[in-house]
Amino acid sequence: MRLMGVALATLLSHYRRHPGQLAMLLMGLWVAGALWSGVQAINASARDNYARAEALLGDDYARLEREDGQPLTRDDFIRLRQAGILVSPLIEGELTTDDGMQLTLIGIDPLTLSGDTTLTRSGAPGALQHFLSSPWQTRLAPDTRARLGSQPTVHGGTALPPMIEVPALPPDTLVMDIAIAARLLGTGDAITALLGNRTALTAAPDGFVLTPADARASPRELTQSFHLNLTAMALLALVVGLFIVQAALGLALEQRLSLLRTLRALGVSGRTLVALLVVELAILGLAGALAGLLSGVWLAQTLLPDVAATLQNLYGATVSGTLSLPWHYWLGGVAVSLGGLVIAGSGVLWRASRLSLLGLGQAQAWRRGYQRQLRVQTLLGAVAALAALALGLTPDTGLIAGFGLVAAILLAAALWQPPLLAWLLAMALRVLEGASRPTRRLALTQWALADLQLQLPRLSLAMMALLIALAANLGVSSMVGGFRLTFLDWLDQRLIADIYLNPPAAQFDDINRWLAQHPAVHERLTTANADSELLEIGAPNARPRRPGLPLPVFGITPGETLMVDWPLLATLGDRDAAWQTLQQGGVFINEQLARGHHITPGDRVTLTTPGGRQSFSVAGIYPDYGNPRGELVMTTAQVRRLFRVPPRSMGIVIQPGEDPGQLRQQLMTRFALAPHHLRDQRQLKATATAIFERTFTITRALNGLTLAVAALALLATLLAQAEERRRRLATLWALGVPRHRLLTTQLVQLAGAALVTGLLAVPLGIAITACLVWGINVAAFGWRLPLHVFPAEISLTLLTAVLVALLAAGLPLLKLWRTPPRALLAEEEAG
Amino acid sequence: MSLRSHPVSAGLTLLCALLLAACDPAPQTDRYGDGGPDAGRAGFAGLGAANDGYAHARPGTRLNFPGDHGPHPGFRIEWWYLTANLEDASGEPLGMQWTLFRQAQQPDTDTAPDPRAQPWATDQLWMAHMALSRGASHRVAERFARGTSRPRPQTARQAGVTAQPFRAWLDNWQLESLATDPTIDALSHLRLNARAEDAKGPFGYRLDLRAEGPLVRHGLEGFSQKSADGQGSMYYSQPFYRVHGEILLDGAQHTVTGRAWLDREWSSQLLSPTQTGWDWFSLHLNSGARVMAFRLRGGGDNNGDYYSGSWITPEGKVTPLKADTLKLEPLARAEVAGQTLPVRWRMTLPQQDLTLDIAARHPNRWMRTSVPYWEGAVTVKDATTGAPRGQGYLEMTGY
Repeated sequence: MRLMGVALATLLSHYRRHPGQLAMLLMGLWVAGALWSGVQAINASARDNYARAEALLGDDYARLEREDGQPLTRDDFIRLRQAGILVSPLIEGELTTDDGMQLTLIGIDPLTLSGDTTLTRSGAPGALQHFLSSPWQTRLAPDTRARLGSQPTVHGGTALPPMIEVPALPPDTLVMDIAIAARLLGTGDAITALLGNRTALTAAPDGFVLTPADARASPRELTQSFHLNLTAMALLALVVGLFIVQAALGLALEQRLSLLRTLRALGVSGRTLVALLVVELAILGLAGALAGLLSGVWLAQTLLPDVAATLQNLYGATVSGTLSLPWHYWLGGVAVSLGGLVIAGSGVLWRASRLSLLGLGQAQAWRRGYQRQLRVQTLLGAVAALAALALGLTPDTGLIAGFGLVAAILLAAALWQPPLLAWLLAMALRVLEGASRPTRRLALTQWALADLQLQLPRLSLAMMALLIALAANLGVSSMVGGFRLTFLDWLDQRLIADIYLNPPAAQFDDINRWLAQHPAVHERLTTANADSELLEIGAPNARPRRPGLPLPVFGITPGETLMVDWPLLATLGDRDAAWQTLQQGGVFINEQLARGHHITPGDRVTLTTPGGRQSFSVAGIYPDYGNPRGELVMTTAQVRRLFRVPPRSMGIVIQPGEDPGQLRQQLMTRFALAPHHLRDQRQLKATATAIFERTFTITRALNGLTLAVAALALLATLLAQAEERRRRLATLWALGVPRHRLLTTQLVQLAGAALVTGLLAVPLGIAITACLVWGINVAAFGWRLPLHVFPAEISLTLLTAVLVALLAAGLPLLKLWRTPPRALLAEEEAG
Repeated sequence: MSLRSHPVSAGLTLLCALLLAACDPAPQTDRYGDGGPDAGRAGFAGLGAANDGYAHARPGTRLNFPGDHGPHPGFRIEWWYLTANLEDASGEPLGMQWTLFRQAQQPDTDTAPDPRAQPWATDQLWMAHMALSRGASHRVAERFARGTSRPRPQTARQAGVTAQPFRAWLDNWQLESLATDPTIDALSHLRLNARAEDAKGPFGYRLDLRAEGPLVRHGLEGFSQKSADGQGSMYYSQPFYRVHGEILLDGAQHTVTGRAWLDREWSSQLLSPTQTGWDWFSLHLNSGARVMAFRLRGGGDNNGDYYSGSWITPEGKVTPLKADTLKLEPLARAEVAGQTLPVRWRMTLPQQDLTLDIAARHPNRWMRTSVPYWEGAVTVKDATTGAPRGQGYLEMTGY
């Protein structure tokens, strides 16, 4: 036991002599762990929020709505109960506190609500009397309460009922008895939904439409892709970080070979030695993992507000801005870091266990071993490439397969990169050897190439990390850039009116009449909307499908201006024919609906309307970025007629040369409209763009961090071999090569390798962009983007590669520059 | 469907407390989770609590019909309680129960919220129980509703009771009068309809009830004392129903006939703080006489049990029974749903010269409602000869 203690102390003493290596090891673990656990923290927190939102209703309930599209009332509830149909009323609405905090208020009737969900449990035991009658109770999650403050008021001074904390409730949600909720929301007799137990309520009663429990999209499903994205990025960072660890560990072992041999010679058994190295790994791993975990939480806290905003914008999913982490998160974080360390360290342990007592570390022997390794890598790369090919050729794959494809492509490229570099070097050397007359310059180049060949085994890992980071960076930024272009284009096409008017319903007709007479107005594009259900999809020569899907219906006015610009992806016949069909009663559907349910122009869709079932011909498919759900448009006139709804808003197209600001002012003064009734195009575009930018903030931040980690990996590797290399350079210097030449040679060596890596990263990055926009985006969001390639982005990638390499080389070189040549020679002698 | 796990169960304790009392005084405080301020201090679930503001059942209160068939929102608690001993065409005995409970949320009905302004506001809670049993099979269902004491059209209420015309309902469960002649009592001809469904399938009944005798006022012209210190309730019955109808049980429809008993009772403080529960009997004797008898455990003289009852002649003439004219003793106990309950009893009525052995037809009549209790059909035999003397219903609470 004592022997082991001494041996361990001896092993660890290495790091006292080389604190840089220790720092590098810990940093690798720390960086990898921090990014991974940061993203996991965000995901865990969001998942907890979704779980709370889902548990609120569970999947226990089916919903009833009126067939005629009219809102449900208390009378419907009583009528159904007296017919023996056990439904429970629920009202839901938005409530804004006097401090401006937006809350969702849910009113329930605990007496009729059955089932075991957060909603039923939130009318917690022991207090039903208090829940049901004055002064009632506000049930809310502790995080919501914390944000609300101690005395929240609404409607200018009305206090909320006494607050009771129910941790299982989703954020920003209040649950109250239906009586007080109806009073606070001013809903009177109206009900938002009638809920019935899914097992009891299986068929719709006469006059009602049933939405089965599982037809409702949950925030978990909608946002799954977003979180998968984050996870993939974090995994990338973890892998890159582990490259650093691997490099550092390899070096630490290499330098301790003689020490290990001495220990063996002194009687420490090989098994004990391996055990000691495991202990060393565990100590380092725990330290690194804990540091990573803590930084990860900090990182998550920094990113979470942006993530929450993104999720709210993209999916309307409420995620609390505060972090709440379950215990298994902490355990998982440490486990992943340690697991990664074991994988990274397994090679080292294996080598240590096979350590020959008398063998000598020999660079050339090492190289021969490396040749074998390259062959294995080439083979493995081929396997990865085949996997990528198989995944790529499989049609209609899901999100996981999409990420699998990206991973396989990255892996294949990373595995093939060192053999490729080695092959390039060998080719270059052969060319030089073939040159007729050796000159001094040529000799140095030849040396540089051979030296690079020798460095390759160590360098290749860092270069692989760099390649992956560069390619991912290029892929993601091209995707985001492409999306941005498409999105802005699409905004331009969709937002064609100059002013968007959303007047109070009572004033709509007056304003419309007034605008009709106004000389500055070119066109008025009224809209309307209604909720419907997609009952049936009929395609020629196919059996009709019945999705039973809730489907929002929007009305557009196909005016002259609109028809020219409105983007369409696919139409039956040409654009004009499609518009004509729309005007004659046809519909357009968005890309999400088309892809999700395999609907093509020419198919027929059947919807519920207040007047009964109606069937429509699909005339075209339009892109609808930023919307996760299916949608359908028809003419406003048709929406109003079929769904018996009033017009909702109006787009005003101004005559060329007229000033929209003036008209806006006239409208506001004449009809006493509030600013929120009127929005101009610029403002709308700015809002939309802001939402978009926000959505990709996280992606960009993580992307940048990954690249930083890769640069760190390269730096770590170079630092690790700096000392050893100095000795080799000393010989050259002694032969008369000037120091500045030596340094330039070094820089060129590295920059060249990095440039090759960068060049490799370009096609790889484009391939990844293609996978993202054609595969992952479609699976995740339901829309497909055109592939954009940005030359500036590519040049930047190449530049980044070289810069990263030069930067990483800079520090060791600076040290070299400052070392007097004598010291170098002394080192050579000592070595 | 486990009714016990119903989320609202805990809160409706007070309503159910009408039937029951806790098994021993110690865990009374919050056994069913009612954390109200009265919970610990005043008997089971606050039933013996001070009730300032509520109307009181007092001796000398006169009953008025048909008005008293309807609800008394100024009193805290009230019920319409129907039990029947039935048999199907093959002579196999069945039992049924249907009960509608009302509980006031506040004593002052004048300040109750106006339903026009606040359609969901409630100052009255309603709860209904139904049970149907045959042999080992015992099916139970329970429902709740919110209500208001303010007038409101019948159709706009999920639950309620109207006196004229008489109708008591919750959802699609309803008991309504078919008596069209205003000179005869509204309860003399009733129709009951109720149907429920759980994991074992649907069950229910549709029964026609005709009274063959008058309404019966218990105690002092309808004031039924419940403890030595004078607590009590207003209590009358219609024990003379002949029943015929249809029942649905275990997937089969049966035509049934039999006898039924309707209890009407309201009060604001039924139990004294020391009372823990009761054993209550309603018997149809073959002689045509009826017996109502109960034992309240605790609250009698010197803290003994409190006994009371009514001997009812076939013509409906009532002789009150008291501790000296009524003796009840458990003969045998059985383990039911984890409780030990007396399922065989001896009832001694010295004035009538009767000693009766009363036995549950089946011990499994546990009502797994939000607050559980035992309610089931019994057979009545002569204690000495063993000759059949009649049948009836037994209710045991607070075990």
